[in-house]
Amino acid sequence: MGLQISTRESGDVVILDLRGRATIGVDSDLLIDHLNKLIATGVPKLLLNLASVTQLDSSGISAIVGTYVSLRRQAASLKLLCPRGRVQAVLRVVRLPEIIPTFENETEALASFRPRGYSAAP
Amino acid sequence: MTTPCSSAVAPTTEKTALLVTSGGDIDELLTNVLASEGWSIQRVVDNQQVVALAKAKPFDLIVTGRQTRVAEDVELLRKIRSARPHVRLIILTDKFTPGDVISAMREGAFSYFSAPFEPSELAEMVRAAMAEPCWDDGIEVLSGTPEWVTLTARCDLATADRLVQFLHGVKDPSIPETDKDQVITAFKEILINAMEHGGHFDPSQHVEISFIRARRAIACRVKDPGKGFSLEELRHAVAGNSPEDLFTHAKVRDEQGMRPGGFGILLAKKLVDELIYNETGNEVVLVKYLDPPKLPIT
Repeated sequence: MGLQISTRESGDVVILDLRGRATIGVDSDLLIDHLNKLIATGVPKLLLNLASVTQLDSSGISAIVGTYVSLRRQAASLKLLCPRGRVQAVLRVVRLPEIIPTFENETEALASFRPRGYSAAP
Repeated sequence: MTTPCSSAVAPTTEKTALLVTSGGDIDELLTNVLASEGWSIQRVVDNQQVVALAKAKPFDLIVTGRQTRVAEDVELLRKIRSARPHVRLIILTDKFTPGDVISAMREGAFSYFSAPFEPSELAEMVRAAMAEPCWDDGIEVLSGTPEWVTLTARCDLATADRLVQFLHGVKDPSIPETDKDQVITAFKEILINAMEHGGHFDPSQHVEISFIRARRAIACRVKDPGKGFSLEELRHAVAGNSPEDLFTHAKVRDEQGMRPGGFGILLAKKLVDELIYNETGNEVVLVKYLDPPKLPIT
C-alpha cells in the first residue's frame, strides 16, 4: 500500500500516523514534503507512529534523520513509536533507536515529552 | 521483436481487467482495488477462457488464478503475447517450482506472487500495473538456471519494484526467510543506487544483474552503466563518513541540492556479509553466507 499519513494532536505533541510503505519514490517524497511542512510551522514536539508502516528503506530513514536534525536545530524534538517487523529490523541495523528515542507505547512516548519533575496534580 | 508500446492497445474509455477466479479474500481484494479506480472486471474460471477472450479483445490487465501451476500460466502468457505483445499479466500461484520465477520473468510477466504472499503487496503491484498507461517489459533474462540467473533491468523505479517482487516470489526452503529478506533489502538498496547514480533513472539505460545460489552462500552482482565512484570520496553518503556519524552526509547532500538519502550502502553493508566494489566503482558484489544445514542426530 502506498503511504498514507494522518495527523492528530495530544497537547502540544503532533502525532503523525503513517500507514503503508515509506520507500523511495512517491511515498518518501510525500513523507518528506509532509515533514518539511511541519518543520516550517515550527512544530515543537513530533511523534512518528510507525506501527502500520510495512516497509522502510534508506529513503524513509533519510526522511526521519533529516527531520530529526532540522527539529533539533530549532530546539524541537522527534520521537518514534512502535516500529514493527522489517521496519524495526531496518532501524536497528542503522542503530537509529540509539539516537532517536523510540517507544513501544504511545502513553509512555507522550509522557517522555513532558519536562521531568512536572506533575499535573495540584 | 515487439511493436512499440503505443500501438499495443487501441484507446478505450474504460479500463478492463480479466481475472481468473482464485476464491476467497484474493478475489475480494482484487475487486476492491480495481473497482476503486473505476475499472471494469471480467471474471473467468480457467486459462482456456482467458486465451479465448484475450485474443478476441485487449485487456488492460490479466491476473491468473492461484490454483494453476506456473508452467500453465507461463504458457498462457506466451499464447496471449503472440497476439498482445504488451499485455500486463500478474501470476498468482500456490503451485510452483524453484525455476518458475525465471520462466515468468523470461516470458515477460508483469509480476509473480507465490504463496504465501502479502495481500497488501499484491494490491500495491496491481495499482502499479494500473498506473502504467502503456507498458514494455524492462527486465530481460539473459541466462537462467535455478543456481545462476543473469538479467538486465531498465533504470526506473517501477522496474526495480517489479524485480524485487520477483525475488520475493523465489521460495527456497533451504534459505531462511530472515536471510532472504536481508539479501533482498540490501540488493534493492544497491540496485536503486545503480539506477540513480549510474543510470540517472534514464529508461534507455540498463543495469546488469546476476544472482548466484551456492550451497552455503547467496551472491548478487550489480553492474551499472555509469563511470563509477570511490567510496572514500563519497561524502554525501554515511558510508563515506565515520560509521557512527549519521548526520554529516545530510549537510553535504543539502549543499549539493541532492534529495535526502545516503543510507543505502550502509544499510546494504550491514545486511550482508560482504559488499565488494570493483576498482572503478560501477560494479558491486553482495555475498550472504548461509549456515550449513543441520544434520539429523543419529
